Amino acid sequence: MLEQYIPVFLVIGFAIIFAGATVFSSEIFGPKRPTAEKLSTYESGMKPIGTTNERISVKYYLVAMFFIIFDLEVIFVYPWAVQFKKMFSDIGMPVFYSMLVFLIVLELGYLYAYKKGGFKWD
Amino acid sequence: MTNSLYLVKPEIVVTIVLVCIITFNLIFKDKPQALPWLSVIGLMITSYFVVEQFSYNSFAFASTDYKGLLVTDPFGAFFKILIVLSSVIVILFSISNKELDSAADRLGEYYSLIFGMILGMFFMVSAADLILIYLSVELLSLSSYVLAGFTKNTLRNSEASLKYVIYGGVSSGIMLFGISIVYGLTGTTNLYEINSLIQAPQINQITLLFAGILIFTGIGFKISVAPFHFWTPDVYEGAPVTITAYLSVASKAAGFALLIRFIKVTFIKSINAEGYWQVINVIDWKSFFILISIITMTLGNFAALWQNNMKRLLAYSSIAHAGYIMLGLVVMSNEGILAIIIYFTVYAIMNLGAFFIVMLIANKIGSEELDDYKGLGYSTPVLGISLAIFLISLTGLPPTAGFIAKLYLFIALVDAKMIGVAIIALLNTVVSLYYYIRVLKNMYLDKPGKEIPKFSASIPNLVLLIALVAPIIFFGIYFSPVVNLAKSSLTLFGF
Repeated sequence: MLEQYIPVFLVIGFAIIFAGATVFSSEIFGPKRPTAEKLSTYESGMKPIGTTNERISVKYYLVAMFFIIFDLEVIFVYPWAVQFKKMFSDIGMPVFYSMLVFLIVLELGYLYAYKKGGFKWD
Repeated sequence: MTNSLYLVKPEIVVTIVLVCIITFNLIFKDKPQALPWLSVIGLMITSYFVVEQFSYNSFAFASTDYKGLLVTDPFGAFFKILIVLSSVIVILFSISNKELDSAADRLGEYYSLIFGMILGMFFMVSAADLILIYLSVELLSLSSYVLAGFTKNTLRNSEASLKYVIYGGVSSGIMLFGISIVYGLTGTTNLYEINSLIQAPQINQITLLFAGILIFTGIGFKISVAPFHFWTPDVYEGAPVTITAYLSVASKAAGFALLIRFIKVTFIKSINAEGYWQVINVIDWKSFFILISIITMTLGNFAALWQNNMKRLLAYSSIAHAGYIMLGLVVMSNEGILAIIIYFTVYAIMNLGAFFIVMLIANKIGSEELDDYKGLGYSTPVLGISLAIFLISLTGLPPTAGFIAKLYLFIALVDAKMIGVAIIALLNTVVSLYYYIRVLKNMYLDKPGKEIPKFSASIPNLVLLIALVAPIIFFGIYFSPVVNLAKSSLTLFGF
C-alpha cells in the first residue's frame, strides 16, 4: 500500500538535504570580509531614513477591512450579473430577490459601521 | 431550489432576528435593556418552526444530479431545540451579568453575535455536505472568537480570545485539508455520495484513514476532546461567564450532532439485526473512539483535581463530560445515540445551572476562586444548596437527573459487551466525586477568612434558578418524558 508513496518521500528527503546543504555549505565555505558599506541596509542606493518598525494607526486596518467587505461583495455580484439572463429565464424573479436580500443585509452592516463612527479618522 | 426554502424556516427566522437586533440597536440607542427580550421573542418564534421539523425527513436544496446540502430530520430538530433552549437561558443570564456592564454600549453586538452562533450551530446539526460542514463550523467559530473576548478591557479576556482564534484557525485549517483529500478521493463533497463511493475497493485505504482523522481534528476541537482540548481551560476562564456556559453546552451539542451525523452517514455500511452499526472496513472508528474517550475523561477528571478556580474546574469537568458522551458513540448503535441525547438534555440543564450560580456569586463577591467560596453555604443558603444539587448531578449520583443520564450510557456499554470501558468510566466518576465535593467542603465545612454578609439573588434570578433546579430533581425521579423525547428524535435521515 505504502510503496506508491516512495517517490513522495524521496522528494521530501531530497528537499531537506538540498536545502540544508546549500545553507550550511555557504556558511562553511564562503569567504567573509565585512565592511561598513556591505553591512548597511540596502535601500536602492539611498541612505536609509528612519526605522523599519514604525507604528501604523489601527484605523488603517479598519479601512482595509471595510474595503475587503466591498471587495467580496463584487465577487458575489459579478458572476450573478453575468449569469442573470440565463438564470432569470430558468427560475424567474427569485433570482433577483435573492441578490436583493444579500445586498440589503450587506448595506445594513455598512450603515451600522457608519452610525457607530467606523469611518471617522479622529 | 427555491421550493426547499420551507425546510430552512428556523434558519431564516434566526437571520431575520439578527438583522432586527442590529437595526433596533441603531435606532433606539438608549434602550439596550430591550435587546434580550427581543432576542428571546425571536428564539420563541424560531422554536415554533423547529418543532415543525420533527415531522420532516428529507434533503434540502437537492437537484437531480446532486443529493443536497443539508437534511432536516428529527435528530437535527432535537439538537436545534436544545440549542434554542440553552440560548434562551444564556440570554436571560446575560441580563444580570456584571461583567457585561463595561460593554453596555456594545450590547447590540453581543446579542447579534449570539444569533450568529445559533445560525452556525443550526447549519452544523443539519449539514450533509463537507462544504457546509466547514462553513458552519467557521460561522460558529468566528462569532464565538469575538464573544470570548467581548469585555476586552480585562487582560485575561483578550488572552482567551487570542488563544481561541489561534487554536481555531489551525484546527479548521487541518479540517479543510482533510476535506480536500476526501474530495480528491471521491470527487464529491456530499456525505451520502461519499458513503457509497468509499465502499469501492480501489479507494486508497491509508489516504482515507488520514483524511478521516484530519476531519475529526476540526470537530474534536469544537467538542474539546483530549488531544484537542488545550484551549478549553484558558478560554473558559477568560471569557465572560455567560459565554463560557454557552460554549460548554450549545457549541458542544452542535459539535457532537455534527460528529454523529458525519460518522453515521459517511462510514456506516449497514445496521445489523441487533441494531449495531457495521463500519465500512476502512477505519477502525470503534477503537479510535474508545481510545479518545478514555484519554479525554481521565485527563479531564485528573486535571480538575488540582484546580482552584471554579471556571477552570468546570472547564475540566466539561472535558471529562465530553469523554463520557463520546462513550455513546463508541457503542456504535442507536442505543448509544439514545444515551447521548438523554445525556445532553440533562447535561445542558445542570452545566448551565452550575455556571449560573458561579456568575451570581461572582456578581456579589467579585471572585471565582475556590478559596473565596469558604463559608458561602451559610451566607447564601439558596445558592449554596442549588450549587450542591448541580454538582451532585454532574457527578451522577441519585436521585438527580445526572444519575439517569449516566445510567443509560452504562447500560448501552454493557449491552454492547464493553464491560472494560464501562468500568474505566465508572472509576472516572469516582475520581470526579472528589473535586465536586471539594467545592461543597469549602462552602460548608471551612471557616471563612473574613465575615461575609448574608446575600441572595434577585427575584427574577431566583425564578430562573428554580426553573433549572426543578428538572434536575424531577427528571431524576420521573425520567420517562426525557427518554420518550429522546426515542422520538432518534431518526437520522437515510436510516
